[in-house]
Amino acid sequence: MPDFRYVGRSVPKVDGRLKATGSARYTSDLSFPTMLWADLLRSPHPHARILNIDTSRAQKLPGVKAVITGQDTPMSFGVSKQDQTPLARHKVRHVGDAVAAVAAVDMDTVREALSRIKVDYQELPAVFEPRRALAPGAPQIHQDAPDNVAGRCRYQNGSVEQAFAEADYVCQHTFHTQRMAHLCPEPHNCLAVWEDQDRLTLYLSSQMPSLASNMLAQAFGLPSSKVRVVTNHVGGGFGSKTLSRFPMDYVAPILAKRTGRPVKMGHSRAEEFIYSSFQPAYEINVKTGVKRDGTITGRHFQVISDCGGYASYVPAVTSVDGALQGVLYRYQNYLYEGTAVYTNLPYGGALRSVGSTQIHFAGEAQLNMIAAELGLDPVELRIHNATRTGDKTAVGAVVHSCGLAECLEKVAHEIGWKEKKADPRPNRGLGVGCGVHFTGIRYPGSPDADFAGAAIRFNDDGSVNLATSCVDIGPGTSTVLSQIAAEVLGVDLECIHVVYGDTENCPMGFGTRASRNTAIGGKAVMNAALEAKEHLLKAAAQKMNTDPRELEAGWGRVYLRSRPEEGHDIAEIVRFHRYRSNGQAIMTSCHWDAPSHGNTSFAFSFGAKAVELEVDPGTGRVKVLEVVAANDLGKAINPLGAVGQIEGGVYMGLGAALGEAILLDEQGRMQNANFLDYRAPTALDVPPIKSILVESNDPVGPFGAKGVGEMAMIGTPDAVAGAVFDACGQWITDLPITAEKLLSALRDR
Amino acid sequence: MKHRLTITVNGESHEIFAESRRTLLEVLREDLHLLGTREICGEGECGACTVLLDGVPVNSCLVLAVDVNGRQVETIEGLAPEGRLHPIQQEFIAKGAIQCGYCTSGMIMTAKAFLASHPSPDEEQIRGAIEGNFCRCTGYARIVEAIRSSAQRLSGAQEDA
Repeated sequence: MPDFRYVGRSVPKVDGRLKATGSARYTSDLSFPTMLWADLLRSPHPHARILNIDTSRAQKLPGVKAVITGQDTPMSFGVSKQDQTPLARHKVRHVGDAVAAVAAVDMDTVREALSRIKVDYQELPAVFEPRRALAPGAPQIHQDAPDNVAGRCRYQNGSVEQAFAEADYVCQHTFHTQRMAHLCPEPHNCLAVWEDQDRLTLYLSSQMPSLASNMLAQAFGLPSSKVRVVTNHVGGGFGSKTLSRFPMDYVAPILAKRTGRPVKMGHSRAEEFIYSSFQPAYEINVKTGVKRDGTITGRHFQVISDCGGYASYVPAVTSVDGALQGVLYRYQNYLYEGTAVYTNLPYGGALRSVGSTQIHFAGEAQLNMIAAELGLDPVELRIHNATRTGDKTAVGAVVHSCGLAECLEKVAHEIGWKEKKADPRPNRGLGVGCGVHFTGIRYPGSPDADFAGAAIRFNDDGSVNLATSCVDIGPGTSTVLSQIAAEVLGVDLECIHVVYGDTENCPMGFGTRASRNTAIGGKAVMNAALEAKEHLLKAAAQKMNTDPRELEAGWGRVYLRSRPEEGHDIAEIVRFHRYRSNGQAIMTSCHWDAPSHGNTSFAFSFGAKAVELEVDPGTGRVKVLEVVAANDLGKAINPLGAVGQIEGGVYMGLGAALGEAILLDEQGRMQNANFLDYRAPTALDVPPIKSILVESNDPVGPFGAKGVGEMAMIGTPDAVAGAVFDACGQWITDLPITAEKLLSALRDR
Repeated sequence: MKHRLTITVNGESHEIFAESRRTLLEVLREDLHLLGTREICGEGECGACTVLLDGVPVNSCLVLAVDVNGRQVETIEGLAPEGRLHPIQQEFIAKGAIQCGYCTSGMIMTAKAFLASHPSPDEEQIRGAIEGNFCRCTGYARIVEAIRSSAQRLSGAQEDA
């Protein structure tokens, strides 16, 4: 392994100083001269026809500059289906569906004006459970979906019937997973500014500015170059700040155009819980066949996901999870059937691992059940079936790098699996779970492409501007990309200035989703940097009257390989190259599309979790004592950042496992839309987390790197569920595993 | 009705006219343009808006500006005079305690007040101190580590003095 100056080293965040001093600016910090404030009027009914909207009393209020309704928002938008309008036109489909909006001089005036809008509704029968929505005679939510199905997906390979016939043991279980909130610290918010009535800038707290801009341009009938999206620093995303999927993304520009003034709007904290496209609820049925020795012969997954009132990401998410379950183990007989169903609830989306944490929970919890039933060790059972490098999996994906078995071995060793299993203690339990996640994604209905862009420009002072299509929403993307650029170019890390989150100044790319920034964003940076370095060496060769092959770049200099003391500062070369007749700038760019080979993703991250916990039989309370998490991330470009991703992922996984849940009343109103009642784990709830980085060196990823951020979460609830069984003999099959559920199970036994 | 208030923020005295219902957080951000103090929940559950009021950490979203008349406020902007980072800021950066950064100001201000009264805390004490500070990104481990190493540096500095 070559000795790298930056790659593979723990480097503090390049924007750490900005953030530690409070100087980093987020969209929520922005204000403009003459700016107006705006907000939405939301439906109190889950399903109702809009008969009339009277805005006259709102219009008359001094300070109100514009009031709009569905008649003023003619565009439709969506992801899997174009089934949404910014403001509801004919009917509302969930409590909180937006029906009108006001722009005014301050928020007090906005609120007063909203309260003066009178909407006449005719209430319609509503349906809140996917099973009921699928049943004959259920209320129909969308005209083009008589069965309330928003999307179906299917993956099939081999024959599961044959697999079950060949198995020594076949079992079938149903699991339920909860709605979970992203809880972005910075809520969804935006600020719209028009120039000349035909050029929009939307400051948007976004993970994916390029695609947000495309969706807005399409909706407004503008050339995409006329819609600029700027993110600034982003206070967390976790999959929620993707595309333009929210009423405000369209309403703010409409109000801004109508008033000729900048318009700012955003979610309140309570709205952010429920209207920022939470992780949807799933019902997951799994049937598995196993040989006596633990060999899995085949698996059949049936997933019903609850879209809510609009499809948004949910059909795509449901499908993606099918692609992933077919990659984890070596069995070839595979059937995955997903059904995404409309209900009269707020709409869901994708949360860190796009529902894969939930599907894994079902599959892996069941493997733990099988191990217990057959008297097999759950770690050995997994290693026995684990996908390996070079495997062609049941969904057709060829896995070019895979450290799954190593991850399992390492977590078991680190937590003391064998020793503790041999010497069990009362009310204590050990559990294991493992998983796979993609690095980048092509999903049905989206273009067959998965690219990132990078542009590199050497400045006169020898520093480098690196513009990327990726957005740093917190995980340290700008640091990792800086490391890659500095490594390849031979400049100091401090000389790299990363520019992101601006569609006017950054290359086009899919932005931050699907654990793709380090690997796909990084590969684009690497290729752009390799080309820039070639230019640099050629320029230096001219200045030094030598062959570029004799030269190397490093430590901010270009020097002779044979006599490193002989060379020039990069700044000198840049200026020499620019300021002369027929001079040139050293600027390169790269658009890198991840090779698919028919796969959904070019590479897959693998990982495993081992958990030790204690159950209090008197209260049902679970206390997690330790989590060991191993992630095959290909290559850790920045181990400090990677460990931060794993710890953050495990934390969210523990939230999913033990407490977090959006609770709805009988009309679909959220009952716990505040921090006190929602119960995300606090610093006191989080146990010690031991992170293990497994480097399988992907042949395609930059320096061997793959993704890490989402795989970090996967496997945690399954390991917790297994450990709870180990501790007290109870399987909890619906998340979260609350004290209430566990106590009730313990009492019933 | 607006009240005339004199508030000292980061050592600088300000005269402000504020309505009774306005919070310290609003006055800091909107009147004084100190945007480093942030709101996440707006109801005192997340600690993001923590500032020091006469040295005591408070959720500035729950403090009325009128109650701060004549008092001393310290915000994140006061921690690095002339750009020299406070040891806690340095440790947060070095230990990887910052991801999206939205909770960071409140977390650092809480840590500063905590370490002033607990110069050599154990892990449980550190976790207890930041229990009221919400972070969605880090899982808290790096933050605990940063506060622990800050404590070592700060108490070392005191011994040196």
